[in-house]
Amino acid sequence: MDLVTVKGLSKRYGGIVALSDATFSARAGEVHALLGENGAGKSTFIQILSGAVRHDGGSILVDGQDYRPANPDAAQARGIAAVFQELSLIPDLSVEQNIWFRHEPRTWLGTVNRGEMRRKTLALLEKYNFPALRPDRELRRLTLAERQIVEIAKGLAKDPRILILDEATSALPAREADWLLKLTRQLAAEGRLVIFISHRMAEVRAIADRLTIFRNGATVAAHDANAVSDNEIVAQMIGRHLDRLYPERVPTATDRIALRVNNFSSGSRLSAVDFALREGEVLGVGGLQGHGQRELFQALFGAARAAGTVELWGKPVSIGNPRQALIGRDGIALVPEDRRGQGLLLTKSVRENLTLSVINRFTENGLLSRQKESDMVKEMVDFLRIKAGTPEQLAGTLSGGNQQKVIFGKMLLTQARVLLLYDPTRGVDVGTKGEIFQLMRDLAAKGYAILFHSSDMPELVHVADRVMVMRNGRIAATLEGEHISEEGILRAAMLETRAA
Amino acid sequence: MSAFLTRNRLIVLAYAGMVVLLLVTALFSPGFLSVSNMRSTVVLAAFVGIVALGQTFVIIGGGIDLSVPWVLNSAAIIMALLCGGQDLPLIWVMPLLLAGGAVIGLVNGVGVARFGVPPIIMTLATNVILQGLILVLTGGSPTPSAPALIQFLSVGRIGGFPVIALIWLALTLVATLLLSKAAFGRHLYALGTSATVAEFSGVPTARTTILTYVASGLTAAFAGMLLTGYSGQAYLGMGDAYLFTSIAAVAIGGASILGGSGHYLGTVAGAMVLTILTGLLPALNLSSGALLIVYGAVILLTVSIGSEAFAGLGGRLRRN
Repeated sequence: MDLVTVKGLSKRYGGIVALSDATFSARAGEVHALLGENGAGKSTFIQILSGAVRHDGGSILVDGQDYRPANPDAAQARGIAAVFQELSLIPDLSVEQNIWFRHEPRTWLGTVNRGEMRRKTLALLEKYNFPALRPDRELRRLTLAERQIVEIAKGLAKDPRILILDEATSALPAREADWLLKLTRQLAAEGRLVIFISHRMAEVRAIADRLTIFRNGATVAAHDANAVSDNEIVAQMIGRHLDRLYPERVPTATDRIALRVNNFSSGSRLSAVDFALREGEVLGVGGLQGHGQRELFQALFGAARAAGTVELWGKPVSIGNPRQALIGRDGIALVPEDRRGQGLLLTKSVRENLTLSVINRFTENGLLSRQKESDMVKEMVDFLRIKAGTPEQLAGTLSGGNQQKVIFGKMLLTQARVLLLYDPTRGVDVGTKGEIFQLMRDLAAKGYAILFHSSDMPELVHVADRVMVMRNGRIAATLEGEHISEEGILRAAMLETRAA
Repeated sequence: MSAFLTRNRLIVLAYAGMVVLLLVTALFSPGFLSVSNMRSTVVLAAFVGIVALGQTFVIIGGGIDLSVPWVLNSAAIIMALLCGGQDLPLIWVMPLLLAGGAVIGLVNGVGVARFGVPPIIMTLATNVILQGLILVLTGGSPTPSAPALIQFLSVGRIGGFPVIALIWLALTLVATLLLSKAAFGRHLYALGTSATVAEFSGVPTARTTILTYVASGLTAAFAGMLLTGYSGQAYLGMGDAYLFTSIAAVAIGGASILGGSGHYLGTVAGAMVLTILTGLLPALNLSSGALLIVYGAVILLTVSIGSEAFAGLGGRLRRN
């Protein structure tokens, strides 16, 4: 019998229909993938399941009994726990305090039983073979990937019968992502149901028994994983056939150096890096997470302190803050890692976000010309095919892919021809991913120089002209031509080789 | 038009509240809507409105300025001392004190933007330091009366209109241009919405922050001089009421106290609401203690209606 059966589920936010007709059924002991573009309704669906949001119509049966949780606690009482993309951890508490938050083991006095908490933490981490994690470490000292792992531990601590993983691998480096995939199989073998959301088809292929595809707030199909092809899945997700995810890679690099970096260091994570990025080139930056990629991008953009020399288009520059980076055609622009925290004003309109960096350009005698601004906004919305009702729609109400496009638009409007793209496709649906890759190649063909980091290795392999692999804050190798492969990147990232 | 209304619904709400309050007050004291009474209400509201102008900028930018009472009070007392009741010295005293207010704002702004001191601590400290300085300076003795010119600015009329109302109108125009029509406004709203995003977008965050505190120092000092003209002389503690009212006017006007939203046009309504309220309550024949309680409770209610609307919006965004 099915553990969960959902029929005709719907949910509206004001005039916006987030979910119109979701149907879903899954058995205990399986890994069930939930697929769909951003904005297809997956997030709303799992928010309803996990008790964060209440549905308007339709029914949910868990164990054949009606299920309508009033809040996440009620959901947990029925054995349902969720690990969300937006982390819910408290930076000032330790790893173990976060894991057991509000469910701490108690002494007879009612105080927290620290010994017991430590014992239970270690037992949990060991049982599921967690990557090394110190229980007493303060959360704020952890990387994004480590926090994601803590979030997973927190979900498992509730011993759920149904565990929902919302893009849990997107923040994880390759090794940890592999561990998580094994973990989901282990959980399924224990008789639990794992509902798994990912934009990475390879992962879904590797672990899912069955899959359900959402589009525009409704279920379009459910399949046994081995009875359907990748192309069929993608076609059902986007409602049309996508010819190919990765655009053709025509080399467009010239001999002109756009960005030259020498002896470039930042903090303790980036030491003495040298490289050159050419006009018309997409230079990939790979390696295991936390080996200096973030520091490299932030320091080049002036968002972190750095030492060493940087030349843009042959001229030495000193960039102490992002303002000094965004100086027009000869500048350098960043599409940052944290879309919501660094990239977008969620409560402001698409228009205000797009023109924020160049607002001075629309002033005449100190006063803004709304006409000029609107023209420019319209041009960029059309160019990037940003799907917003109007340019006045709030950025926070857009889907992830469209939010990312707005950030691209904001940076393109600065006219900077050196672009730093830090994991630009993270959490972006497959259709928009394809558009972003095509955009990157088009920009390169126009003479833009692009530094491109991705946590998804195949993207580097298929989109970049060259790939620099970072290890311990240095460039361990630079792969070119036929040497660019996932295996090559991994080998350079993990093994002691001589720097190229 | 409807887009304008939804986008600025909290400001519209503030004006609606103002009208309702006016009508209610007129019910309890029929003379309230008379020309002379409206005129004096606007004059009183202007003082709140002018102090709250700088405060509006600071709050939209994500900060708060608790130094307004003693910037105001210092400007008032030093002006009275330096002028000794004469008009002529105002030629240099007014610019000097405006510059003084701006310098205090600069100190606040630099402390917050460059040294990372929390705004509450930074501005509270300058407030207390100014209070101490003024006590040392005056020894607590009363000051000479205000120069006639300054009295004209605060209680005089031109063609039936209070001069200060015209000043307020001009300042409202300037503030509106800055917020709605200048790059500064965009930068300010971005800063208050997310300092990190603003920084990553190339917004001059430090400069923008500092400018808001400078504006607040300027308007507080200016209001201090005008208020001296209104009451005829400067006295210790005359700015104390303006700490609460300047912040409440901004909040009633629809700004989020956390920054990123609001408008001076809303603050204008907020200043009016507060002033009408102080006119209404005596008409209810309550004791002065009960008056304060009702006053505080009404403000609490008004502000929480505004923040409720914002909390709802924020919650929706997080869920999406």
